[in-house]
Amino acid sequence: MIRLENVTKVYPNGVKALDDVSFEIEKGAFVFIVGNSGSGKSTLIKMLMKEINPTSGSLYVEEKDITKLRRSKIPKLRRSIGVVFQDFRLLEKMTIYNNVAFTLKVTEAPIRTIRRNVPMVLSLVGLSQKANMHPKQLSGGEQQRAALARAIVNNPPILLADEPTGNLDPKTSWEIMKLLLDINLRGTTVVVVTHDKEVVNSMKKRVITLREGRVIRDMQKGDYGYEN
Amino acid sequence: MKIRTIFYLMGQGFMNIIKNQLMSFASITTISACIFMVGIFYTVSVNMDYMLDAIETTMGMTVFFDEGTSEEQIIEIKSLLEARSEVHKVNYISPEEAWTNFKNEYFTGKEDQLAGFEGENPLKDSASLEVYFARLETQKDLVAYIEALPNVRNIRQAEQVVEIMQSFNTLVRYSSLVLVAILLIISIFLISNTIRLGISTRQKEIEIMKYIGAKDAFIKGPFIIEGAIIGIIGTVIPLSIIYVFYERVIEVVTTEFVLISNYLIFMNIMDIYKNLVPMAALFGIMIGLIGSRVTIHKYLKV
Repeated sequence: MIRLENVTKVYPNGVKALDDVSFEIEKGAFVFIVGNSGSGKSTLIKMLMKEINPTSGSLYVEEKDITKLRRSKIPKLRRSIGVVFQDFRLLEKMTIYNNVAFTLKVTEAPIRTIRRNVPMVLSLVGLSQKANMHPKQLSGGEQQRAALARAIVNNPPILLADEPTGNLDPKTSWEIMKLLLDINLRGTTVVVVTHDKEVVNSMKKRVITLREGRVIRDMQKGDYGYEN
Repeated sequence: MKIRTIFYLMGQGFMNIIKNQLMSFASITTISACIFMVGIFYTVSVNMDYMLDAIETTMGMTVFFDEGTSEEQIIEIKSLLEARSEVHKVNYISPEEAWTNFKNEYFTGKEDQLAGFEGENPLKDSASLEVYFARLETQKDLVAYIEALPNVRNIRQAEQVVEIMQSFNTLVRYSSLVLVAILLIISIFLISNTIRLGISTRQKEIEIMKYIGAKDAFIKGPFIIEGAIIGIIGTVIPLSIIYVFYERVIEVVTTEFVLISNYLIFMNIMDIYKNLVPMAALFGIMIGLIGSRVTIHKYLKV
């Protein structure tokens, strides 16, 4: 599903963010990528979204080398990767329903699809009752669930979560992780970038650990195992 | 791109303008001023051309010949002149005609004073050629050419009037160019700022659209449409103003300048708008589009 081959990224200021990184994430997997700030996590996410290109190496998404992707094909790549962020990034002036529908509107989905899919994912994340509320009226956990709904409403094969529990208390974090598991069970490949030790340790999933731009550990059913 | 999407983008473009009222207003005002200037100068300029044209065909010069020049020689010069491109028309005025004209002009009602002239033409050496110009610009060259011809005694011309009008026309053209250029720059600058403000207030939305996988056109569309709409509104306003006031201004000018009212022949507004409207519309939309393109290119990285 996602494959990195000797990926190196050196920024123009000379900082080496990723140093000869290779790993593969299979279809349907649930993977944590952990590491401190400066470990290269953000660079990796930006590369997957093709906001930046690696200095060398290849990066495959669904068997396509996205480093060779033409500009006009970038939207298609991004449609195949749903993203959620630490700060939710919901649009405040829109209702939750419209925030979720926004993905489909922007990708020019038929109105029928919008009417069918939006209530479906809202019920999946347990927000059916709050569809007409605005983000500010929701708790942090609920906002993150809305963001998840927005990320998966167009059924992307990959879900990329960038510190999804960073702003949430442990109990709420758990709810979000359970939701991510549910989504994973539906067949979506889930990649969670985090430094939430508790969450990682209790999930017993594959953990790829980055440090100073290198993969220092890659364990099935792993733990955080990395002292700050 | 689907029709629904186009409507959506247009709606968003309108929303941008409404949300950003102050800046949109400023942009529309400067474009309006710019197009207004273009419109005024164009209107004045085509009217001047129109009047000069009319004067060109009515204003000519009269060429007189040395005593004893035969009619054949004059006719020969006439055909020589007619062959030149800067000449519109040449009339031969025979001594008889000249005398008849003169009598009609000065002795009408005083025929008794003509008693001594019977059977005799005091203007027998006053055969002349009336030369009408095709283009006033070449008048000087033509005069020099005619002066060099044999038997030419003198030339009477209305050179000064023409020169004044021409230099006025040139002045209008150059000053309008300068003013329009200044306003153009201000317009583009203001539009680009308006769009930039729109982009910055929608930064979060743009970011999300990007991640969701919106196409470039989808993200940029509303801002391009915003620029175009500002351009169109900025064109419609000044053209309407000119349309409404054109007839009134003509009225004022003709009553104020009664003395030269014979020369003041104005064009029909519709004849002017036939060219001005598409030109101004193109110009206005171009300003709008350039303004938004510049900003999008600079501030909207997709």
